[in-house]
Amino acid sequence: MQKVHRVTISALTGIEIVLFVLALVLPLLLENFWVLFITKIFILALLAISFDLVWGYAGIMSFGQALFFGVSGYVVALLSQKTGVHSIFVLLPIAAIVGLLLGFMMAALVILGKRIPSLAFVALGTMTGSYVIERLARGWSYVGGQNGISSLARLTAGEFEIEEGIVFCYMALSLLVIIYLLSRWLVRSQFGLVLAGIRQHENRVSFLGYNVQTFKAVIFSLSGMIAGISGALFAFHEGFIGPGQLGPVLSTQAVLYVLFGGVGTLVGAIIGVTVLDLMNFLLPQVEFLGPTLTNFLETGWPILLGLLLLCTVMFRPAGLMGFFMRDRSRNLLFGNKDKMNQSSENGLESRP
Amino acid sequence: MSGKKKNDGVDSNSRRIFTQRTSLMAGLVALGGGSFLMQPEGAWAADPIKVGIATDLTGPISWAGIVNANVAKMVIAEINKGGGLLGRPLQMVLEDTASNEQLAVTKVRKLVSQDKVDVVLGGVTSSMRNAIKDTIVNRGKTLYIYPQLYEGKECTPNLFCTGPTPAQQCDTFIPWLIKNGGKKFYLPSADYVWPHTLNDYAKKVIKANGGEVVGEEYFPVDHSEYSATVNKIMTSGVNVVFNTTIPPGVGSLFKQLHEAGFGKKGGRLACVYYDENALGITPANEIEGLATCLDYFSAINDPMGAKIFNNYKTLYGDKSRFCAGGAGTGMWRGLMLWAEAVKEAKSVKRDAVAAALDHAKLTDGPGGGCEMVPGTRHLKMNMYIAVSKGGQYNVVESSKMVLPGECA
Repeated sequence: MQKVHRVTISALTGIEIVLFVLALVLPLLLENFWVLFITKIFILALLAISFDLVWGYAGIMSFGQALFFGVSGYVVALLSQKTGVHSIFVLLPIAAIVGLLLGFMMAALVILGKRIPSLAFVALGTMTGSYVIERLARGWSYVGGQNGISSLARLTAGEFEIEEGIVFCYMALSLLVIIYLLSRWLVRSQFGLVLAGIRQHENRVSFLGYNVQTFKAVIFSLSGMIAGISGALFAFHEGFIGPGQLGPVLSTQAVLYVLFGGVGTLVGAIIGVTVLDLMNFLLPQVEFLGPTLTNFLETGWPILLGLLLLCTVMFRPAGLMGFFMRDRSRNLLFGNKDKMNQSSENGLESRP
Repeated sequence: MSGKKKNDGVDSNSRRIFTQRTSLMAGLVALGGGSFLMQPEGAWAADPIKVGIATDLTGPISWAGIVNANVAKMVIAEINKGGGLLGRPLQMVLEDTASNEQLAVTKVRKLVSQDKVDVVLGGVTSSMRNAIKDTIVNRGKTLYIYPQLYEGKECTPNLFCTGPTPAQQCDTFIPWLIKNGGKKFYLPSADYVWPHTLNDYAKKVIKANGGEVVGEEYFPVDHSEYSATVNKIMTSGVNVVFNTTIPPGVGSLFKQLHEAGFGKKGGRLACVYYDENALGITPANEIEGLATCLDYFSAINDPMGAKIFNNYKTLYGDKSRFCAGGAGTGMWRGLMLWAEAVKEAKSVKRDAVAAALDHAKLTDGPGGGCEMVPGTRHLKMNMYIAVSKGGQYNVVESSKMVLPGECA
């Protein structure tokens, strides 16, 4: 029994290491377009991680991650356009703070309160927030209305201009690695254990004397911060930010990334982003399948993608990570490994 | 000694380059850069000129994007049949921007930095143009041609617009509306950039011609309950409803206006984006007498336009026709003007082509010829006012070579 568990745990670490090495080496080998592509994956991976933290670990269904992503993006884009400040050392912290504050405000609205809010209330509340902001941005001409803000200048670090390409790629990667490691440490700490407890059975944890609302508000604000950083990087990497980056569509995309990759594993979020974005990009141009299928895919690829997602959710609720690790093993990653392995025989279940 | 050292350096250097290239190839194959590697080079005497088409084949804007892409396919095939350009064939690289700006930037980046296309055409909505223009023109250093009618004010260098502007759609149309409708205007509009900017221009023209704007209202794009607005229109003696609400909301506005008897009492409905494909959205009796002003109608029956119209019909069927909206005529003109510019510049280099495109001219086309106004990157072209009757447009007035009034 114990041997089996050791294998599953090291499988996760193994995947992390393989991905890290790939992420480190690939940008050096690939041509410019793919470097830009990978950079975007790194940036969106931050968004996915922000969702995995709240849903995969604390069981908060947030359909509003794009709100933090987009508003932070808009704030730094406007700042850089109106004031001419392009320094990454100014703009990135501002984006993080904006995301953190928005996360806290949203948490104050939908999570904090006398009674424990239901899953549906939180899901709809966050989605509504995201929808409202998107509508506001579409109608507000100061922020470009429907057209959003485009032609952004490049980020700078001192005298150096961070051009998208290798430099931007490694900058995004280092941010991703730092945030990933911090999140990993966080969810494996005692704090993370309480979060997992909340996810499994909120009432029991609160009977033990924990103020579950506070824990949830903290992780929700942190997730807002990560989404905010992601949004700022996105705006400057793509050179534009629009109302589409604020609304339920991108929020749902964050959910799909994580469900597809594997909930509550952190690395699953990164895998989800990579696989889905690659499919999004490659599906419409699969040419070797013959003219009929190519013609179908030209306009029908979203149908195929939707079917794939549906199949994953139906047959692999643990996502792609479900192929590599057992659903239960997520619960075994806390505290003392040997003790946990023993307790697994008592049969811990996992919900999301 | 020193010679040997030098040799060593060269050796290890070339070995490094060799390893780099091998791994690059491995990486490319692994990532499925299929179209990049499998060029049909042997089939042609010369390298193809690459034309990037980025348009919305899927998603809410696909009704326009598909027409847009079909026109591009048709024109490029025709140019190739005539021997290509500069003795080189054209190769079309089509990317689906999926009505999604976020995805579109990646797709356009592929066109510019992987396929290394010589020109990009496409984008239907203004938000799409805004999202991708920087990637193409500034960061990608590639020529961009935007083919749709739009709100104007796009003055980015190396970005050429081949669709009608507010000036072209209002300058002759509004005086006609005042003459054939009345002086009192009402402007029900969708709440986004195009209606706001177009209305600003239209209001100026209305006032300059002695008209009066009774009301101007902005609704969410999918709004469908207009009874208060219709009531206001019916009670305040409005002569002309100058509409910029869009599908899906527009259907219910027209229906409610019709039911209130706006048309029967002599009111004039006007809608500048309503092309021949849009006529199918609403029952013919509800929009009897609707007036519009566009750069092409099949009812003009000009020989060139008819040829293109029928050619399109044989190739793609009758479901959606070649017409002014959906960036159809804009795409045709964009490609043909670019082809002319390439011929004149004898090169596909951006600066040379842009310089030639700045004064490019077509003697004939759908609805007649057109000509770039130098220094503005916008076209002057013929504009036509048409009125719907029994589900068909009848052209009632035409104006030659209307100026775009942009970026001057």
